[in-house]
Amino acid sequence: MFELSLSFIERGIVAAMIVGVIAPLVGAMLFVRRSSVVSESLSHVTLTGVSAGVLLAQVMETIPMNPLYIGFGFALVGSLLIEKLRQTFHHFQDLAAPMILSAGIGLSAVLMSISTAGYNEWYDYLFGSIISVSPSDLRFIMITAFIVLLIFYFFQKELIIVSFDEEFAKVSGVSTKGMNFLFSILVALVISMSMKVVGILLVGALISLPVAASLKVARSFRQLLVWSVILGEVAVMSGVYFSYHYSIAPGGMIVVMSVLLLLLFLLLPSLMHRKQEGSS
Amino acid sequence: MIEALLKYEFLQHAFLVGGLIGFLAPMLGVFIVVRKLSLIADTLSHLTLTGIACHLFLTQHFSFFLQLHPLWMGMSFSVIGAVLLEKLRHIFHSFKEFAIPVVLSSGIGLGVVFLSLADGFNNDLFQYLFGSMIAVTKEDVWTVFFVTVIVMGLLMLFYKEILFLSFDEEQARVSGIRSNFSQLLFIVMTALVISISMRIVGILLVSSLMILPVATALQFARSFKQMFAYAIIFGELAVVFGMWAAFSFHIAPGGTIVVLSLLLFIVLLSGRKLLGLPVRVYRSKKEEM
Repeated sequence: MFELSLSFIERGIVAAMIVGVIAPLVGAMLFVRRSSVVSESLSHVTLTGVSAGVLLAQVMETIPMNPLYIGFGFALVGSLLIEKLRQTFHHFQDLAAPMILSAGIGLSAVLMSISTAGYNEWYDYLFGSIISVSPSDLRFIMITAFIVLLIFYFFQKELIIVSFDEEFAKVSGVSTKGMNFLFSILVALVISMSMKVVGILLVGALISLPVAASLKVARSFRQLLVWSVILGEVAVMSGVYFSYHYSIAPGGMIVVMSVLLLLLFLLLPSLMHRKQEGSS
Repeated sequence: MIEALLKYEFLQHAFLVGGLIGFLAPMLGVFIVVRKLSLIADTLSHLTLTGIACHLFLTQHFSFFLQLHPLWMGMSFSVIGAVLLEKLRHIFHSFKEFAIPVVLSSGIGLGVVFLSLADGFNNDLFQYLFGSMIAVTKEDVWTVFFVTVIVMGLLMLFYKEILFLSFDEEQARVSGIRSNFSQLLFIVMTALVISISMRIVGILLVSSLMILPVATALQFARSFKQMFAYAIIFGELAVVFGMWAAFSFHIAPGGTIVVLSLLLFIVLLSGRKLLGLPVRVYRSKKEEM
């Protein structure tokens, strides 16, 4: 496959570009559902999966296995669990996310201590490292991105209806259970694919910050999607560029760029407003 | 274990600090859970990491900062972040809950940039993230003791105000309680407790120690006072046994403490279910109406 012929820098950039499109796209949907926080907890559950994967790979050296897949498995289970808790314990909602979050990190701390992998390998997963994107990682990212886009393409209308008005969706015959399940898959996919690029602790930023900035300019849901993807891509590309030139962890730089974009979009309207007042 | 405890001074320090934290964190956690602020605790703890990373970066360039304990820097960052959070909640007034992921993630992002500027991706960082018992010094014990006294004193002085604010913010405001002041006080106290707990439990796990024992206590307490008692008991149990397990099996103490409190929650909750007792869930007044 062609990804084998890419150099490690090119692999990293391709991975970052893909993630820059997909993460804000799903982020916009999460935002409408008012469950942006869910991504934060889920990303921590993914960490447990990855640490379990690394540990397993150490125990069973004969089976070559990418920890990303196990991470995805855990993220999926976690997101189904949150969805379940969300539905059964309506009043429990506030505690469900922090509890899953703490369970995730607590377990991964234990697993990490047991495993003999060096700190650097963990830091790659925690804070992202573009240069360590392997061909198999890139394949994982491309496959998951493809699945996300497919789901989006085929179920766009249903997903939007469920996000905006769950009751209305039920009445109009959309299977809310099926859609919520699909949603859990989407979130789990996005988190596990972004992990290698921005890192588990920073996935939440790439999911929520571009959407927050777009909120200030978008006038419709479609515009929100488009703006989020554009801003996400700008943040990712500029972040990668600066991280390369100043040798800073790319995950951190991408997030800082999205924060700057957010600040710009928050301050811009009031500045323009002031100018208009001055001229009139 | 007891032999080791008598033999190694650092272990004595660690257990002293752990005991104080197991007491303080769940106590403030009660207010946090009642006010539904559990994610704010998380945000503050991540901001503490930003502060520590910033301190690490500054010490490499200005020797002045060497004298300063990194904790103070972490604490001031989390207080600034808390103020910023309130501001953002006003900006996104129709999507209040969105302010939390925004502040949280920008905090970590900045922290990572500081860390990589300071070349800080090493063993020390791991201890800050997941806690450690080895590095606890006598000075730390005194700092933690000092902060405990301050927080306890403030809590006793302003107990009425904070309690009132927790249950009915509007009523509190109407009856003339300086709600902004009490709110700030409460946030500062939380930031203080988070930064001292960080030593042993680790930044990523501090909020769990504040929330999990309280979630367990919710199942048993019959009054607000009892909730404190239960939360502190569960917190202490988790901390002491967690530290013991961490020491015996060479695991990061934050991990064992949180896993233990989670187990406590699951076992007690399923015990209640088996006995046919109802599983209690905290509801705020508004939802009941």
